[in-house]
Amino acid sequence: MQSFIKVENLTKSYGGLKAIEEITLEIRKGEILSLVGDNGAGKSTFVKTLAGAQLPDSGHIEIDGEAVRLESPKKAEFYGIGCLHQGLGLIDTLNVPENVFLGRELQKKVLGIFPQLDYQKMRTETRDLLNQFSIKLPKLNDAVVNLSGGQRQTIAISRLLLQKVKLVIMDEPMAALGVEEGSKVLNLIEKMRSESVSVLIISHNLEHVFKLSDRIAVMKNGKLIKVLEAQNTSREEIVKLITFGLS
Amino acid sequence: MSDSLIGNADRKWLFQGLGLTIVVIILAILFSLINPKFATITNLLNVLTQASYYIILAVGMTFVIAAAGIDLSVGSLLALITVVSFELIKNGLDPILGVLLMFLMGGTLGAFTGYLISYINIPPFIATLGIMVSLRGLALVHSAGKMHYGLPESLTWIGQGDIIGIPVPVLISLIFTLFGAWLFNKTKFGLHARSVGGNREAARLAGVNVNLVEILVYSFMGLSVALGGLIMITRIDSTQATIGTSMEIHVIAAVIIGGTSLFGGKGTVYGTLMGAILLSMMTNALVIAGVDYFWQLFIMGIIVLIAVTINNIRDKRFLFNSKP
Repeated sequence: MQSFIKVENLTKSYGGLKAIEEITLEIRKGEILSLVGDNGAGKSTFVKTLAGAQLPDSGHIEIDGEAVRLESPKKAEFYGIGCLHQGLGLIDTLNVPENVFLGRELQKKVLGIFPQLDYQKMRTETRDLLNQFSIKLPKLNDAVVNLSGGQRQTIAISRLLLQKVKLVIMDEPMAALGVEEGSKVLNLIEKMRSESVSVLIISHNLEHVFKLSDRIAVMKNGKLIKVLEAQNTSREEIVKLITFGLS
Repeated sequence: MSDSLIGNADRKWLFQGLGLTIVVIILAILFSLINPKFATITNLLNVLTQASYYIILAVGMTFVIAAAGIDLSVGSLLALITVVSFELIKNGLDPILGVLLMFLMGGTLGAFTGYLISYINIPPFIATLGIMVSLRGLALVHSAGKMHYGLPESLTWIGQGDIIGIPVPVLISLIFTLFGAWLFNKTKFGLHARSVGGNREAARLAGVNVNLVEILVYSFMGLSVALGGLIMITRIDSTQATIGTSMEIHVIAAVIIGGTSLFGGKGTVYGTLMGAILLSMMTNALVIAGVDYFWQLFIMGIIVLIAVTINNIRDKRFLFNSKP
């Protein structure tokens, strides 16, 4: 698999505390890479630097071979990196197409002059997008507050897919979902891989991690201690690395 | 009302808009039975004419409240821009320029309010309370308590004329309501205003320029005040620094009765129209019944409290129904 993003020697400190230290990692095109580690291992800090939410103190990032500076979420989005926030970033009072297209609305001209939202097109494209990923929602015109956690999750993912992202960062994507809804989100993630979208997942659920991942990256105390092919490792080895590190 | 006009945002609230329409019709029948004077065409047109400037301001306020804001300064803004323009027109300024000046002042002062709220982070209630007092003070300083009257006929036609028997203020307010409904439901501006009210941070993360949206929302409110003020002063052919006192209560009440959530994020311009008509109808019925003005104020206050309570109950139910 080709490389999409390469980070080298990424370091970030908060005051005297090194949140991440000398992280070097490659994310390949169309792979699912899981990032595991205890609380405080540095996972969130690392993904924040990739999502443009904060700049590293040192190190550098390359996307498709080009050195980049991800100084804002907008910049990260420009390079095809989308982030699925834990709160999902949806607006409860808006309906599905409004949420999916918010910030990049489709418009048409009325009387050849006045720009107006093209709801019909936004609904059709939302429906197509959802169909493409086998997502079924009863009514697109419902406010999203009336939808289940899994449905909300899929809408948030759909919004990222609409942006034609090349890498989706997901922080605990199955948290607070039931078994059935969780499995739908898992299917959606696998579908993204088949569309050559790379996925970086932070998860504490090793069952999901093993079910989905091509590779698993283990972090401890701000350092990336090992990256393993999921096929060539075991749950016991990962737990051991998370708990005791390389020692 | 056609589906295209109500739009996607209002579809969910259609029933409420229709429900309010039924309430308005039932009350109109009830008032007519109690006092036949109420049911005359002349009186009903009078109710709509009286409602016209409240409707216009309430349409602007729908955007403000849907964006999770509030504007207490509308009455004072109306006073300031009307006394300044009126005096300039009386002193020889071209009436068209005078009217344009009203809109310029309304839009600019509204944008300034939006700036204080979005960039300086002053809570809307406090920012507009401060502006309300300041602008009223400026209006009093400017006019020194004088009453201004005697506009040119070309302007008084706006407030007093009619087209095929329908008062011009009624026509203007209805056209403005249609425009407001379109803006609210069908444009990027309306969607962004609702998104800022629904979840400001999520809107920002989605790429909405939330500060600009807030400035534009308050600026639109200022423009609505200018239009409402124009109709008001041309109707009574006079203005003074105390004009529009307590107007904000009436306007906010119309919006809340109409079903716009005080928590922001959702609302309906059609509901606002019905809310404003309902309030004007009740005021008219109380006047016809000979109820004292001070009792009218008391009743108006009680109506506002009831409307807010209903609004809160509905929104809490809304939240209880939500799933994580």
